[in-house]
Amino acid sequence: MPAEEMGKLTEKMRLTFAVSTVICVLVLAISPVKDFRSEWKQYKRSFVRYAQGRPDTKKLLADYSPNIDQVWLPGMNVTDRCTTCHQGITQASLADPAVPQPFRAHPTIPHNVRDWGCTVCHRGQGPSTEVAEAHETTLAWEQPILPAHFLQASCGSCHQADLKETPQLARGRELLTRLNCQGCHKLNNLDRPMLGPDLSSIGYKVSREWIYKWLKEPRTILDKDGNVTVNGVENEDETRMPKFRLKEEEIKALSGFLSAQKAKPLEAYKINQAVAATWSKRPDLISEGEVRFRQMMCTTCHPVAVTRGGETKLIGGDIGPELTKVGSKVKQEWLVAWLRNPQGYLAHNNMPRYGWTDEDLYKVSQYVMNNLTDSDLLTNVPQLGAPTDEEVTTGKRLFTEKGCASCHSLNGIGTQKEFGPDLTALGAKNASELEFGKAKIERNLVSYIQAKLQDPMAVNPAARMPQYSWNKADLDAVTTALLSETGPAPTSALHHLVVPKKEASFQVVGAFTEVYERYKCYACHRFNGYGGTLAPDLSYEGSRAQKKWIADFLKNPQTIRPALILRMPQFNMADKDAAIAAEYLSMAVQKPDVNPESVDARQFSPAMASMGKQLYEVKFQCQSCHTIGGTGGYVGPNLNNAGNWLTPAWIEAWLRDPQALQPDTIESRRNFTDEEIRALTAYLMTLRTGSKPAGSKSAANTHAIAQGAGR
Amino acid sequence: MKAKLMMVALLVGSVLCVLALSGCKKSAAVVKPDEAFGAYDTEPDWNDSTKLIKLGYQESQGKRVFYQYCVWCHADSTPAGPSNRGNVTPMPPLMNEGEKLNGESDEYMQNIITLGGSALGKSAMMPPYGKTLSSEEIKAVIAFTRAIAQPAYQKPGRPGSQYTTK
Repeated sequence: MPAEEMGKLTEKMRLTFAVSTVICVLVLAISPVKDFRSEWKQYKRSFVRYAQGRPDTKKLLADYSPNIDQVWLPGMNVTDRCTTCHQGITQASLADPAVPQPFRAHPTIPHNVRDWGCTVCHRGQGPSTEVAEAHETTLAWEQPILPAHFLQASCGSCHQADLKETPQLARGRELLTRLNCQGCHKLNNLDRPMLGPDLSSIGYKVSREWIYKWLKEPRTILDKDGNVTVNGVENEDETRMPKFRLKEEEIKALSGFLSAQKAKPLEAYKINQAVAATWSKRPDLISEGEVRFRQMMCTTCHPVAVTRGGETKLIGGDIGPELTKVGSKVKQEWLVAWLRNPQGYLAHNNMPRYGWTDEDLYKVSQYVMNNLTDSDLLTNVPQLGAPTDEEVTTGKRLFTEKGCASCHSLNGIGTQKEFGPDLTALGAKNASELEFGKAKIERNLVSYIQAKLQDPMAVNPAARMPQYSWNKADLDAVTTALLSETGPAPTSALHHLVVPKKEASFQVVGAFTEVYERYKCYACHRFNGYGGTLAPDLSYEGSRAQKKWIADFLKNPQTIRPALILRMPQFNMADKDAAIAAEYLSMAVQKPDVNPESVDARQFSPAMASMGKQLYEVKFQCQSCHTIGGTGGYVGPNLNNAGNWLTPAWIEAWLRDPQALQPDTIESRRNFTDEEIRALTAYLMTLRTGSKPAGSKSAANTHAIAQGAGR
Repeated sequence: MKAKLMMVALLVGSVLCVLALSGCKKSAAVVKPDEAFGAYDTEPDWNDSTKLIKLGYQESQGKRVFYQYCVWCHADSTPAGPSNRGNVTPMPPLMNEGEKLNGESDEYMQNIITLGGSALGKSAMMPPYGKTLSSEEIKAVIAFTRAIAQPAYQKPGRPGSQYTTK
């Protein structure tokens, strides 16, 4: 370049500067444009447009700011910017499902979003302001939004006790307990595990062939399509024994080993020869046995399959094992010994000890052995004969290796601890921590859990976990319960939020202890939160029922609650036992503020009772739910014998506030005046079976008169 | 020459701009949750059990309340088996009976559940539930009723029109 031209701009340089200036301006413009077009700002603007199109614009935009909104709760480690886009979550007028997302209001829940944030329950990436980053799995964030269907899992992370609002979670926890998942896996927040039966003396109970069949296919109640149908729903309440994938020789070895288990000889019992001789001549014996089977209410705890019109249903309770084919399963001498004293065979089990007469014992055992059978049950089972020593040794090894010892105890073999993986933090796992194997499923936690539950080998071909069969609702419930297992606390900062479960216990003392254990009251009834839920809660039975009635009822249970299929069994209880139980229940099991002596029934006059009858039949029409004298509904208990059954103090307290005595009762709390309560109590106390109810006019007549007078 | 260079520069600049801008939109696709998991809960259509009706949070709470308190008289079958509906005169409506219930306003439904039938000149066999259930629970039951109604429930077009006297 010549010297004189130095410092002068050539045409070329000018052009270069011009071009680079343009580029510079354009590049500088990128940032503000990008910012203007960012997703959250677009949602901000579209919310304003949406609000302007509604009549309540002013209210909707009262708190509006064009900036990022966030809920910042340092104590809980929460920085949630979700409200930047979800701007209407606290606006009640946006609750309608027609309101487009992300502007719809959040449903009213017990927790306020300002105090809790969003991600504590919904998961996802709180600080993000991009739709995909906030909701989905990204490279830097592996906890995506929890699908709405499993949201109850988040409640369960803190609430260790079940809440009424979370039935799906409660069902899932119930299944985890029932199926004894804790036998192999470590889990939090679950009740005491219910183990499979002790097998130490199984050789006395069943044949080797039956064990073979059971190990091969534990589900034997099938309808014509090969489905298991229980109470109209397929696969709902099948056997707790899952299907193990065992090879032929493994089944042979295990069945051989188990059939050789005869640790404790049976308490042999010979039914009186005379009884057996008399009854064996009677052809109607079997049907009489069936009548006694039904009268003793065996189906209250044990389900039995009934086939009608080609559809098979299990009917009955789920406390004891299903009995449809039990006659083809157990040996007769075992059955008789078991019925007389179940605790003689299994020390810890919930079957009550009935007071059997020889006659009943003979009839019922004959019925069970002859009618509750399936001649096809063992058709495909080879005759196995006595096991060889080698089979027994192999069987013993397999018993531990296959995980049998996780649920079943057996003499000399201890239960295994932590046989399967620890699941106490499964619900908080990232997708990258899971091994999907070759499973063709979405790479997320929910899909993983569901695939694993449905077919353990699909995810891991070497899985030892047996095969369960779930219906959709139970699969989702168990998934929810597993997702709630998020370790010590959802985040360490949330540790103080955990609401622990109250441990319930109920101790009885004195002479009642033996009665309580003999009849296993707690298998069905609940006392102060402890015990079963099949039958009414008896925590306040002493305040509720009269002592004489309790004793009479125990000796001969009557139907009180017609809507229930399941009923109190006929125990053939001895007078002495019934008296001890009645004494204890009426004195020691009371609600402190409902003293059964506090209201004296002698104060009630016939005039009060007839006013009570009017109120019962006309003003409040209690007959919609309760039955008196054969008419009325069957939602509430039958009141025919209320005067002999209930204490007046209980009736008054109940009418004042039923939920105070029984929180989940469906009887509604009303605005009765004191006078109305007195009158209704007086009327109910006149109701005694065998004597006529107060007032002799027919109900229809009284009704018509009162209707006329009311107008 | 000059014009040509200018053109090239503008082109390069605009390409750069477009690239930079599109960079921030990398995968902001619409979130599509799994169809089956998107619903908080479901209830089979009472007239056709193969169809599932999706329920939101409030409706599912209503389902819970319904199956504890209302099912005994307002459904043909109950968790315990038989229904008490036939024992009640006049026979109460089924909870999915759109023909009867779709015409009733939310406010009317709230009142009859809270105060009972007799307070509204209807059957005294419907007890008042205002002191047993919270108003939130009663609203939830109504939402559940609306969700399962057959024929389907249509929200009234103009608020106000639903407050006409019965």
